[in-house]
Amino acid sequence: MQTPDSPDAADPRPGLLDAQALARLHELDPGGQAGLVRRILATYAQSLQRLLAQLAAARAAGDREGMRHAAHTLKSSSASVGALELSALCAQAEAGLRDGDTAALPALLDRLCAEGERILAGLSVR
Amino acid sequence: MNDAARAQDASADGSARVLLVDDDEVNLMLTAIALRERGFEVFEAGDGAAALDRLDRVAPDIIVLDALMPGMDGFEACRHLRQRSGYAQIPVLMLTGLDDDASIERAYSAGATDFFVKSTQWSLLAGRLRYLLRAARTRVELERSKFRLARAQDLARMGSFDWRRGPVGADDRGLGQLWLSPEALRVLGRNVGERLDVRALLRMVGRSQRRGLIRMLSEVVAHNAVLATDVSVNLYDGRPRIIHVEAEAEFEHGQAVGYTGVFQDVTDRRVAEDRIRHLANFDALTGLPNRRQLIWRTERALEQARRLNHNAALLLIDLDRFKNVNDTLGHAAGDELLMEVARRLRACVRHSEQVMEGALEAAGARSHRTLEAVGRLGGDEFVALLPEVADDADAQRVANRILDSLRDPVLVAGQECFVTASVGIAMFPRDGLNLVDLMRNSDVAMYAAKSAGRNAAQAYSPHLGGRGREKIELETHLHKAIERHELVLYYQPKIDVRAAKMIGAEALMRWQRGSQLVPPGDFIPLAEETGLIVPLSEWAVREAARQARIWQQSFGFADSIAVNLPSRLFERSDLVDKIHQSVTEYGMPHRAIQLEITENNLMKDLHNVSLSLHRLNEIGVEISIDDFGTGYSSLAYLTTLPISELKIDRSFVRDLGITPQSSAVVSAIIALARSLGLRVIAEGVENLRQMEVLHKLGCTVMQGFLFAKALPPEELEAWLQQTVLPRKAPWIGAVTDVEPGAVRMLASGTSS
Repeated sequence: MQTPDSPDAADPRPGLLDAQALARLHELDPGGQAGLVRRILATYAQSLQRLLAQLAAARAAGDREGMRHAAHTLKSSSASVGALELSALCAQAEAGLRDGDTAALPALLDRLCAEGERILAGLSVR
Repeated sequence: MNDAARAQDASADGSARVLLVDDDEVNLMLTAIALRERGFEVFEAGDGAAALDRLDRVAPDIIVLDALMPGMDGFEACRHLRQRSGYAQIPVLMLTGLDDDASIERAYSAGATDFFVKSTQWSLLAGRLRYLLRAARTRVELERSKFRLARAQDLARMGSFDWRRGPVGADDRGLGQLWLSPEALRVLGRNVGERLDVRALLRMVGRSQRRGLIRMLSEVVAHNAVLATDVSVNLYDGRPRIIHVEAEAEFEHGQAVGYTGVFQDVTDRRVAEDRIRHLANFDALTGLPNRRQLIWRTERALEQARRLNHNAALLLIDLDRFKNVNDTLGHAAGDELLMEVARRLRACVRHSEQVMEGALEAAGARSHRTLEAVGRLGGDEFVALLPEVADDADAQRVANRILDSLRDPVLVAGQECFVTASVGIAMFPRDGLNLVDLMRNSDVAMYAAKSAGRNAAQAYSPHLGGRGREKIELETHLHKAIERHELVLYYQPKIDVRAAKMIGAEALMRWQRGSQLVPPGDFIPLAEETGLIVPLSEWAVREAARQARIWQQSFGFADSIAVNLPSRLFERSDLVDKIHQSVTEYGMPHRAIQLEITENNLMKDLHNVSLSLHRLNEIGVEISIDDFGTGYSSLAYLTTLPISELKIDRSFVRDLGITPQSSAVVSAIIALARSLGLRVIAEGVENLRQMEVLHKLGCTVMQGFLFAKALPPEELEAWLQQTVLPRKAPWIGAVTDVEPGAVRMLASGTSS
């Protein structure tokens, strides 16, 4: 059974995710009948968790391609739900991995993971 | 379901089917929801392999592929997709990242229709999808259109082509580049995919035409003019065809860059047109120029003769008694005869076959000679046009050549026919200044030749005018005479002078034209000439049978009525049937009709006639030989023929009692008849003296003015009542007789 969303109930705490992006998500289900936003965020949270793990594993294995892929995927889904900071970091990481710019990479990846954890935490609070 | 049907469905029910492929669940979910919101039916797959798997079951109208996926990425998936049958044309949208230039290139080379940068503006994506679907539909429509056009062109044996000028200095020697559509190649009998250049095309044109064609094409191209022409080509398999080409110049930036056009195989149409033109100008049966052609040629010939101041001649050739052949051997034989005659006539002149139309190509001062020909006017009439003759003698020579050519018999229907012609000659300018006058005067001359005995040529002269016309008039009216009941039979009684009674009558044809009674001498020969004698005679037999019946009912007439038949009728196989029909129609016995044939006619055609005579004899129709003594009888044959009676010709009767020779001849005839068991009757008895002598010589049956001239049937009846029966005539009782009974009868004399 779908629990209808009320804007407050579905949304994470203000500031976690970009308001505009959230608004667009709400547009997809204006009355909140389908509990769409909740489901999307839940899917995102799962995906985020999985991708962070993939990223860490690839990093440990030195698998640049694996890292790039995880970063790429995370980039677009983060942007979709409004985790803009996270999305930007993923983009930088992806570019760095592609261009072979290894110097700034470790630091970047750290910040990426940190931000990812922060979002994940924010979403888990209900 | 193929691309076309799919696209159709999408537009029909408004919800296109989208297959969405993305390994990012979040994105997949969001995109799917967004698209469903916007009216699309969305199916999801998490990677390339899954997508390919679901393909046939989902049957999408459009596929959205994320470029970067683990395992089989979007590009590879796209390539695989394109190879699947039915999916070569389906719209594929590749989703790429914003800064991913490499992906954009790869997207197109993998076969993607378009790329789209992922964004959260879902309406953009929806819009792009709709655009792609519409484009796909349009493309399908276009393909269908092109296919229909190609089919139509194939049916019409047309094809399109494009020609581009070569750039200056190119090594194609200014011949440019040629592109031919598959249909165009088919028209030329080549296979699809073959490359033909301008040179190859020109080689298909006959050598003699090639230079002219090249010159014309150069002119057209030089002036960027419209091209429209027919070219005769030989296909590679040797077949000659006529190709109609039409093309227009194409411009780019104001400069002419080439030509675009179509060409069509119009061979069949041209062949049909030629045939029509030929049929319109040539007689179907004989292949000679027809009336229309002759008129055209004659008018041109006269123009030339006028200008160049020389003579021309028109020969009107009318076959003699052609209707004989038609009547006796049938129309098929008649046609054969005309064809053979046409062949012979054609050989008599410098005949030219070309269809003449439009202005005479002035091929020189003597070009009018090509007009010379023999043509068929119609029926059994031909015309020889001599566009230039020196004089009368020249024309006469040709006429004689024509008469000579018909001298040998013509073999038709296995029989040898002798056919002759009557030729009328009219000279320009002496006998007429225009076509109408020349035709009329050659006609007059021709009729003069005919009435002079046929098988001759006659040059026109003014005094010939009258007779011809009268004769034509008479002939026309004679045709109608039977229908209009203008023909009547008069009857002349045959008298047995001892018994003083009528023992038969001879039927004689008369023509009552209004108040005028046309003497038989005026129309019988004409009837024989035109073959009308056949229906006339048949009518006479029927009429005689009818009259015999009337008389039978009126006064118990039980003798025969004699009808004169020309020998021609005896040759017909249906004669016996016709006579049988006529007598039975009126319920009369066969002996009610007697047939008279002159001695001359009998002997002339003995072989053909005797068969009919035997058959007639078998059914009981008696035969009488008319004008006996004046012909060339073979006595041997006479004894074998089934005849019943001899009629002594009037010429012998006339001199009876005046010259001893006539008595001698008459005696001989009577003796001959008696010994052969034939009856004998004397014709032309006009006075008592003749009657007495005849009686003394042993002839008791007579016919002539002494008794009665030929009378209408009612008058004959009246004559019987008033003269014979009451025995009130000078000749009755004028002869004494051997038999006592007869004398007593006579002596008992008159009664009221």
